[in-house]
Amino acid sequence: MTGPPILDRRLVFVLGKGGAGKTTVASALALGLADAGKRTLLIEVASERRTEVLFGTLPAVGGVPQEVRPGLATLSIDSEKATEEYLARQLPMRPLVELMVRSRAFHQVAQAAPGLSELVTVGKIWDLATAVKGDAPVWDRIVVDAPATGHGIALLEVAGRIRELAGSGPIREQAEKIEQVIHHSAATGVLVVAIPEDLAVSEAVEAVAALRERDLPVAAAVMNAVRESAFMDADEAPLAAVASSIGGVAARAAATAGLADLMAARHDQAEIAALAIGTNVPVVSLPDVPDLRPGSGGLERLAAALMTDPAIVGGT
Amino acid sequence: MSTDLLQLVEGRRIVVVAGAGGVGKTTVSAALALGLAARGARVAVVTIDPARRLAAALGIDALGDMPHRVDAARVEASGMAMLGTMDALQLDPRATFDRLVAREAPDEAARERILTNRIYRHLSSTAAGAQEFMAVERLHELHDSGDYDVVVLDTPPARNALDFLDAPERMTRFIEGRGLRLLLGPRGGAGRVGWRALQAGGSMVMSVLERLTGAELIGEIREFLLSFDGMYQGFSDRAAAVNQLLSSDDARFVVVTGPRPEPSAEAHALWDRLSTDHYPLGALVVNRVHPVPDGADDAPDGLEALLRGAGAPDPAGLARRATTVLEAARARARADRHAIDAVTIALHHPYVVTVPALESDPVEVAGIASITRALGAA
Repeated sequence: MTGPPILDRRLVFVLGKGGAGKTTVASALALGLADAGKRTLLIEVASERRTEVLFGTLPAVGGVPQEVRPGLATLSIDSEKATEEYLARQLPMRPLVELMVRSRAFHQVAQAAPGLSELVTVGKIWDLATAVKGDAPVWDRIVVDAPATGHGIALLEVAGRIRELAGSGPIREQAEKIEQVIHHSAATGVLVVAIPEDLAVSEAVEAVAALRERDLPVAAAVMNAVRESAFMDADEAPLAAVASSIGGVAARAAATAGLADLMAARHDQAEIAALAIGTNVPVVSLPDVPDLRPGSGGLERLAAALMTDPAIVGGT
Repeated sequence: MSTDLLQLVEGRRIVVVAGAGGVGKTTVSAALALGLAARGARVAVVTIDPARRLAAALGIDALGDMPHRVDAARVEASGMAMLGTMDALQLDPRATFDRLVAREAPDEAARERILTNRIYRHLSSTAAGAQEFMAVERLHELHDSGDYDVVVLDTPPARNALDFLDAPERMTRFIEGRGLRLLLGPRGGAGRVGWRALQAGGSMVMSVLERLTGAELIGEIREFLLSFDGMYQGFSDRAAAVNQLLSSDDARFVVVTGPRPEPSAEAHALWDRLSTDHYPLGALVVNRVHPVPDGADDAPDGLEALLRGAGAPDPAGLARRATTVLEAARARARADRHAIDAVTIALHHPYVVTVPALESDPVEVAGIASITRALGAA
């Protein structure tokens, strides 16, 4: 995969299956980028407000970015709210917007029109990515915690689909602009998150193939929750001998636990290799951090791991 | 604590397996279906997942929209007697929707008009809610076929695990499109003032939409709704029938969760919702629970000597590391125990079934069978 490291791309989409830790990875990346001096906005699309739990902040009011750390803000996009905002900008009269928003027919069209809600979401992300204050962009970097794999890909390809569908009008023009940027690896990067389980890895491999097929810039895969071992290969034989010996119950349990620890780490390394081979992109490996509560330092540990990886920051 | 899940759901016609993404719903669905089949039932399990997980685990090359029989010999090779049959299939929302349209359409022309409409194609495959709507529709289809004693449904991997309960009604309401028809329809025109005012407002809404999306799109939506004319009653009856089936004593809901706090919170919300709406709750399955290491809280006395005897180059260091890992494993098991106790109390003591974490993923029937054994004696 060619293209600059994630650190140099303005727009990063984090995709993955439910339960793989997409929100965690997106949050850690945003934190790492902010620590590296980039003014970063973390956008959560599914309006689950999970990032707020991770950063320990109160829910933001009125869809405005909320500063959670120095240089780092979070925002949750609600597609219905974003549609209203979009209309408000397109229409000259406030009463007309009110009429539209209150009309059930409008909501039904919005639901039926292929990809309209995704387009509005991407449009909102676009607005934030291109916002300027004076001569400088408001945000140096934008990290998007995208919806689970299938819906995440739909979000990325919507601009192209709308361009084909909408014959004319401002929607088509905007879709064209967005499509160009999202497909450009100098500006945009997609990270696909997996966990070290066979089925999660095969899903990630399929997701990368689907993204490639659509010409979307996959930057790297992230293997989350990788278990590390305190043991080495040479420890295996003595641990195995003691585990099946006639020693004390607790001593055997300790040897068994040690052996399981070593096997788990080996298993995860094998999954990393499978992910690398299957996707043919660099794999960023993140340790298994059981405690992610604010103040535990868990998220900071993940951010630090991300910000030393060549796929994220460049170099070798 | 040792609730037998198989016994709890045995004799029911429908088992819905729900829960947050990533908790192992699909595996639990397969294990449950396998257990019921092993006990003699004719079982179908509907899975909803683009990654063909169940196919991999059950040794079926590819799961299609139509039921595939799981090879009894493979099951028996894993040491489990197979008295009934197990069919597995993967939901194809589009194919299910197409069949529904074919059944409800008044004639061939109406059917073709719908199936080729772009809005329909979007709605039936990618629109939010289509998958959920079709999951329950497929459930109903299989139930009605009479081919199965019980149908097990693995629910869509939505972040919001409750979506599938509301989807049929939402989708039907959309197809009915009352408000929309008023604006799009060429009919009407009765001279009432209120009506005319509404149409005036409506045409303004439509002209704005046309300006934004292009007139073609609006035209297609109009055509889509017109082609469904006269069919929504059938859809609406169908949604009501599905809901009735899911609320009846023939159904059981099984909520799957993990021992960590986040899925527990989602399981809690799901359980509350099901309970409030009077859906028949079966049990809470806590999946991937860390097992308690042997030896209670005893120190691993004599470990260093044993390791030295086994030829370890640095027995003291190895013993220290193994002791640390043992303590961590005990702490994890304790944390899981507390989490399970907390959710048990919060949900007012439901039937709780715990499934131990496997060393590796169940990619073979034997792996599924080991989970089946944790769910109850097969």
